[in-house]
Amino acid sequence: MKKSIFFAFVLMSSLLFVACEKEDNPTANNSTLTSNVVKDLVADTIVGLSNGQPVGVGKYTFYSLENNTVVPSTDSNSNKWDIAFRGTSILTNAGTSGPGAGGAFVYTGTYDELKTVSPDSVFKKDSAPSSYAIPSGSNRGWYVYDPVNNLITPIPGRVLVIKTAKGNYAKVEIINYYKGGTTPAPSASDEIKLKTQRFYTFRFAHQANGTASFQ
Amino acid sequence: MICDISMMMVNVDRSNIAPDFSCMWRFLLSISFFPLAGFSQTNTDSIFNASLNEVVVTATRTPRIMGNLAIPVSLIVNKTMYQSGSLRLNDILAEQTGLVITDNFGRGIQMQGLSSEYTLVLLDGEPLIGRTGGVLDLSRITIRNIRKIEIIKGPSSSLYGSEAMGGVINIVTDRAGQHKTDASIRYGRFGSIDGAINVSRRFKNTDIQIASNYNRSEGYSLKPFAIQKTVEPFWKSAHQLNLHHRISDRWKAGTGMRFNTSHIDNSIAVHNLGNTIVSKGFEKNQEYNFTPYLQYQVDKKIKSVLRGYITGFDAMQQLDVKDAYGSYNDKFNQLFARLEQQTDFHPTQHSTLTLGAGIIKEQVSSNRYDSLSTTRQNQIIYSFVQHEHAISERFTIIGGARFDANKAYASVLSPKLSFQFKLNQRLNFNASYGRGFKAPDFRQLYLNFTNLAAGAYAVFGTEVAATEIKRMSDAQLLEQTTDMFSNLSILKPETSGGLNFGIKYVHPNNLHVNLNIFRNDLSNMIVTDVIAFKKNRGQIYSYFNLKRALTQGAEINVSQQISNTLNIQAGYQYLFTADKDVTVAIKRGQVFQRSASNNLVSRMGLNDYGGLPFRSKHSGNLKLFYENPKGFFATSRIIYRGRWGTMDMDGNGLINRNDEFARGYVKLNVSAGIQIRQRIKLMAGVDNVFNYKDIIHLPGNPGRVGYLDLQFNF
Repeated sequence: MKKSIFFAFVLMSSLLFVACEKEDNPTANNSTLTSNVVKDLVADTIVGLSNGQPVGVGKYTFYSLENNTVVPSTDSNSNKWDIAFRGTSILTNAGTSGPGAGGAFVYTGTYDELKTVSPDSVFKKDSAPSSYAIPSGSNRGWYVYDPVNNLITPIPGRVLVIKTAKGNYAKVEIINYYKGGTTPAPSASDEIKLKTQRFYTFRFAHQANGTASFQ
Repeated sequence: MICDISMMMVNVDRSNIAPDFSCMWRFLLSISFFPLAGFSQTNTDSIFNASLNEVVVTATRTPRIMGNLAIPVSLIVNKTMYQSGSLRLNDILAEQTGLVITDNFGRGIQMQGLSSEYTLVLLDGEPLIGRTGGVLDLSRITIRNIRKIEIIKGPSSSLYGSEAMGGVINIVTDRAGQHKTDASIRYGRFGSIDGAINVSRRFKNTDIQIASNYNRSEGYSLKPFAIQKTVEPFWKSAHQLNLHHRISDRWKAGTGMRFNTSHIDNSIAVHNLGNTIVSKGFEKNQEYNFTPYLQYQVDKKIKSVLRGYITGFDAMQQLDVKDAYGSYNDKFNQLFARLEQQTDFHPTQHSTLTLGAGIIKEQVSSNRYDSLSTTRQNQIIYSFVQHEHAISERFTIIGGARFDANKAYASVLSPKLSFQFKLNQRLNFNASYGRGFKAPDFRQLYLNFTNLAAGAYAVFGTEVAATEIKRMSDAQLLEQTTDMFSNLSILKPETSGGLNFGIKYVHPNNLHVNLNIFRNDLSNMIVTDVIAFKKNRGQIYSYFNLKRALTQGAEINVSQQISNTLNIQAGYQYLFTADKDVTVAIKRGQVFQRSASNNLVSRMGLNDYGGLPFRSKHSGNLKLFYENPKGFFATSRIIYRGRWGTMDMDGNGLINRNDEFARGYVKLNVSAGIQIRQRIKLMAGVDNVFNYKDIIHLPGNPGRVGYLDLQFNF
């Protein structure tokens, strides 16, 4: 009895899902999906030392996934940007970070496997200073920090699923954190490691038609 | 991502170094490959095959003929150590099948895939202390006055307690009371000098043995023009006195005393955004041991020994840092005292019952923990029992157990069971299962360390973590605590279950084949995890019983006496290791990797997983020993170590990509020597003839090294 109810439920929900898809996404429209690779996006590169700790100037670099371009920081309080970078911290345009309708979560899996955003996904909003949609810290969000070799490496199989300021969907994969998209050798000097870090290489796909499909 | 967090500011290697005589090695190479002539059927009593009849004590804590043991045990005799030109313990162990010398925090040993912290090193049956990052630096120990080394593989904790998981290495010093005096001197590359004097005497009822050793080197630099040498200049000295006195036919008493010092110059250069900060100073380690005993032979069937043991290890590092950083001073003082009673009963000719009990007091004070004035202590009370019974001529069984109770962490029971079955004169089978453990060390319990240089991370031992987190939280220094913080609890000992199955085959033509298959299942392994984040994003780590791992493999040794003068030995170990939770996650498809060539991410398969870091899947050796009756000898030893994983490069915390492995290598060591008129022994040798170097992964390997060695027997 229980089993048959379960099957009925599964059947119904899948019908529902198909129905939804038909309604919202009649055809997977390739012309509204854009895929891009961004190289060496500067994210508050290190300018000096403060109390022995390397520091930048402390400013975020704002980026529009909708337009695939850097947004001036004077527009930080607008819907013009979707994602912002400062060191290893990543913001999305919502909550305490901006006025947008954005949000994000970290998906575990490969970039190519993520063909659609599951309807039950929960998009988190930034709530400074205690929590961020994309958690900061080693092994919590998108990267690991190796204190022995002093290197930051993106975790493979982590995709940032982003809701843009306008409410469209995008997926972002951070590929590298160092200039030229190449992590310095573990044996490289700390000087090289500090000077070449905070240069993001990432790829993203952006769906402009409002659907959750990345196909 | 799990990182081994180091507490020491520098990792100074203390290897032995010796001279480079570029033409000498060619000569030695040419003499080391003798024609394999003169196949002999005669049963020669050479040193190489005597081992099955040797008496070993480590396996059962009672003297036993090696060939009769139900436990994998191997033996290195003094002659092999001498002819191999070995000076320090790591030199000779590096040439044994299945033993790998690691190069981090000094020279550690890896046995059956278990790292140094799981291997117990005994000196005349008593454990050596003074580990850094879990590693007991074997280069601390001179083997100039060592009679033999016994190596037991697999867990032997049922007899020895903590740390005896991977195995036990027992170094047995020279016999007292032999009426001999010898002195030796060696000169080698990098200004390395080793001098030793051994005196052994018998006075009526008293036997005495005195040994002194001095070892120094100017160090070397693998990177030219570097301010900081790869190995800094060092000197080491060791002095030992053994006394045995026969009080009566039944009573015997004695003591051993040993004092060890090592001094290493430090010159450390730190580059930070174009600024070079040079720190100069030194590192000094002092170690002392005191081992009194009293033995009572009740009758032919019962023998009882009361043993005391006091040992201390004091390490310090003093650095004067130029600039505003001030000076750095690190001190670590460890004391270990033990009183133990062991009684052996021989109720019948075919059985031995061993009963023992003891008490251990251990204390540590270090400015890595709190201040030097705060002393951390632990007390362990233990007892053990073992029964060995020869059921028939062919079949022997050994059962035993040990219980360790203490204050600072959970108590532990370690049972053991082994069998031996002799099918005939040639073929012999043995099987054993044992459980071993390693107690949480003081670092895991009490460490209080903040590294301001590398990302401002901090590490707190489990006993101090909660207090420290509260203090930081009250001071508004924390961003948040993690889920792991609520999981902080009393640490349990790390445990292992080890299974060994061995076959020994002896052919009358002096062919020995020895196969051992092993599996070790480790659980409750202690790893660090993040318990909180500081406001500046710095991570705070503590210790947890989280990891489960597996090491398994097979080891084979073949030895053939080709003629009266020539012996050939070959050994190979296949090793498979894995973190069990990683294996499960891979099977579930939850682990990913990034390609080095195109940055594309894919799901990892079990075949992509390279196992635990620093383990070589393949390793082996091929050794030739030649010795003629005129006192001339020559040796050629080829040591192979296959590639091993070193560090994660693609962010998944695992060894999987080719660029995450260190290259494998082949090392050829040769030596030759002659005895002149019974009194003088002259030897020359070259280690690492092919001059293999790996600056990053083998900093303790200086490349080709030659040496000259002179020994005089008075």
